[in-house]
Amino acid sequence: MTDKNNKIPFNEDNYTHNINRNNERKLDRRGFMKTLVGAAGVFAISSLPWGALAAKELTGLGDKKYPKQKITEEKSLAIGDAVDFAFPGEHDSAILIRLSEKKYVAYQNACTHLRCPVFWKKDEGEMLCPCHHGKFDVNTGEPIAGPPRRPLPEIYVKVENGAVYAVGVKRYEA
Amino acid sequence: MKRSYVPVALLLVVLMLNIICTQYMVHQYFYENYTNTIIAAVINVILFPVAFVIYKKGVNVND
Repeated sequence: MTDKNNKIPFNEDNYTHNINRNNERKLDRRGFMKTLVGAAGVFAISSLPWGALAAKELTGLGDKKYPKQKITEEKSLAIGDAVDFAFPGEHDSAILIRLSEKKYVAYQNACTHLRCPVFWKKDEGEMLCPCHHGKFDVNTGEPIAGPPRRPLPEIYVKVENGAVYAVGVKRYEA
Repeated sequence: MKRSYVPVALLLVVLMLNIICTQYMVHQYFYENYTNTIIAAVINVILFPVAFVIYKKGVNVND
């Protein structure tokens, strides 16, 4: 041992000095089959998270639940008019627009560019952010002009007994 | 000592199915077909014991 320590690197003529058995590096039929079974095991384990995530999506565990919130009475909002409200938090300002007798749309109205409030331009039929003239499509919330590149987060609304309720926020999709 | 390479071929088939199922699973997840994702994941998990059984049979009989 001592003479080995005095010679660094110690005397070896190849890089396989730590192989002690004959054919230790040979992959025989059995070893190859073991490798394949191991690979199958790795595939099985690695598919578990995907299954779990898919199950989570299916059961709706990923959807955030907010208590439904009354926005306004149906009769107090004429067709083509808009009303501001806050949902889901008291600082998440949002806008509800009545497009027709039955169709309501609601968006969180912080512009996706620099969070200026977005206004409803009734005569032009589009949503306008006055800071940098960003415009949004009123039916989908998609940006159609100006600097914003992401859609406004949509709020799901439900009409019940002559009143309009906010029930949820559409999940953000990149 | 006569070796059979049938189990090896079967295991290679299992591995191929694993690859197919994994890719199918990932794609279906991003296409938001979550039921198909779960089906592919279950197949993937079942393939492991199948591979293990094939290995056990092949080793015991022939070596």
